Amino acid sequence: MILRRDGNTARVSPQRSANRTPAAASLPADRARRVLAEGILGIRELAPGLGLITVILFFSLQTAHFWSPQTMTAISSIASTIGIVAVGVTMLMISGEFDLSVGQNFAFTPIVWALLFVTNGINEWLALIVALMLSCCVGIINGLVTTLFGIPSFITTLGMFFVLEGLNNLLISGHQLIMFNPSAAMSLLGARITGTPFYMPLVWLFVIAGIFWFALSHLRYGNWTLATGGRAGPAKAMGVPTARVKRTNFVLSAFLAGLAGCMQFAYIHGVTQAQGQNYELLAITAAVLGGTSLFGGTGTIWGSVIGAFLLATIEIGLVLIGVPGSFYVTFIGVILVIVVIANVRLGRFGSSQA
Amino acid sequence: MSTGPGAVAGSAHDGEPVFELRGISHSYGRNQVIFDVSMAVWPGEVVALVGDNGAGKSTLLKIFAGYQRPTSGILRFMGREVSFATPADARGIGIEAVYQDLAIVDQMSLWRNFFLGKEMVRTFGPLRVLERRRMREAAGNALAQLGLTRIRSVEEPVWTLSGGERQSVAITRAIHFGAKLLLLDEPTAALSVRETRNVIASIEHAREHKLGVLYIDHNMSHVLPVADRIVLLELGRVVRTIDRGEVGLVELQDLIARRDHQADG
Repeated sequence: MILRRDGNTARVSPQRSANRTPAAASLPADRARRVLAEGILGIRELAPGLGLITVILFFSLQTAHFWSPQTMTAISSIASTIGIVAVGVTMLMISGEFDLSVGQNFAFTPIVWALLFVTNGINEWLALIVALMLSCCVGIINGLVTTLFGIPSFITTLGMFFVLEGLNNLLISGHQLIMFNPSAAMSLLGARITGTPFYMPLVWLFVIAGIFWFALSHLRYGNWTLATGGRAGPAKAMGVPTARVKRTNFVLSAFLAGLAGCMQFAYIHGVTQAQGQNYELLAITAAVLGGTSLFGGTGTIWGSVIGAFLLATIEIGLVLIGVPGSFYVTFIGVILVIVVIANVRLGRFGSSQA
Repeated sequence: MSTGPGAVAGSAHDGEPVFELRGISHSYGRNQVIFDVSMAVWPGEVVALVGDNGAGKSTLLKIFAGYQRPTSGILRFMGREVSFATPADARGIGIEAVYQDLAIVDQMSLWRNFFLGKEMVRTFGPLRVLERRRMREAAGNALAQLGLTRIRSVEEPVWTLSGGERQSVAITRAIHFGAKLLLLDEPTAALSVRETRNVIASIEHAREHKLGVLYIDHNMSHVLPVADRIVLLELGRVVRTIDRGEVGLVELQDLIARRDHQADG
């Protein structure tokens, strides 16, 4: 949270001086540079999109297996679940908060679902609704604790991470829950789309991303989310219920993580407590690669979807060209830092970060 | 014309003032910073608060904006006695505080900022869908009226604008949404000559729309051509109000310098 605290103070206090320095605003060259940067990247998804194309081209040239159905299945499945989690995390990050509990929630919700309907024979739909409501409760607690006590969400959701990790361990204690005969609900969430190498989570990813793209750009709620993360003080002064906006986004983030976890279970027909390990960080990485600011106020849904595909393509691509699997995270770490440096340099994180 | 305690500065006007302070005193703990101040702002009138640091200008402005409740005294808005629990109460009845770095979200586009909190929406069940085109046009028209020629597109994020332009946007927004009283805290501080001219133009625009304007400024050459009335504060008291044309720039500066000197001694 140190990172974010710094970011916030850097954004609020020197603003005044930044505004008052004529050089920051009125030098035509400086202004032109900024408008140019904003213009070239005017479609914010353009930069991450070009990145994804480059990566795809690279791996296409490196290996003949890249366009095989197996590769398509692997990349699209990984991208789908990370992408859905990242959509919720993106909304939350745009409103200025983090959720580190999504990875554990990604296991917790399907564990609850599977325990209820596989182990205890409760109606699968009812069980799904109960499980998803529990995932929403996780978000409600995250949101209430963060907004009522005014503590950094980094800490709130880190606490929730451990709480859920313990719960998951308690619930299945290292075992695997398996369901070999996919039910109707499981088919809806994770079945193969006939005649393609793709599975239902990919469809859901685009449906969900479409809904949230619309919400962010065309609903009043999206406007309030942007304003809340942009500068909460002025937003509040203009009548935006910033605490409510943040709480709602905590719930959305938790709900989507739980839902994506259920899709993962439906797709692989099983769940362990290790499911979703590192997803909290991968979702943030996907969002940041897609152009979402760590400081709130800017970001796009499609950018995060592209970010998720970038992660999945790199993960599978490295395996295909014979690089040891452990290099994946190393590689992602380096890319993440480079992208953030580039974004800060281009001033896309707002005036004061430039 | 100097004002004694209880008399309302500028009482020569006709009609009801937009906002009036009567016998306002304010203390922070034991430290009294405002002593029995009475003043008023009329519709279509620009009033400048001037004085040295610690004269109480900012505290007075905060009382106007509802950020501080005075320890004693009466506030009257359009003839009615009012008291504000929060700044939102003051905003609610049409008092708009425009500070250099307040009420604008840098990352958002101009039109989104312009309508923030007052979005035009179409309701579909629980959904409030933004009427983007209508808001873009309305924001564009309102800003064009003011001649903000440098603003090319209402899609531009606000951080591409200069400090002066941002203030002009905030002022235009206040006028557009029917504010009655505009409060400005050093609107021309650290602005270039041209930007200062733009901000002054938007203040005059507010005056044409019959808003009352109250502002703090240190630069007397910016105050003199704009202000209809200058209220000189010293150590929490109104020591003099000066009507437009009553004194020249040199005289005014001498006056403040002399007062400052006395205050120091």
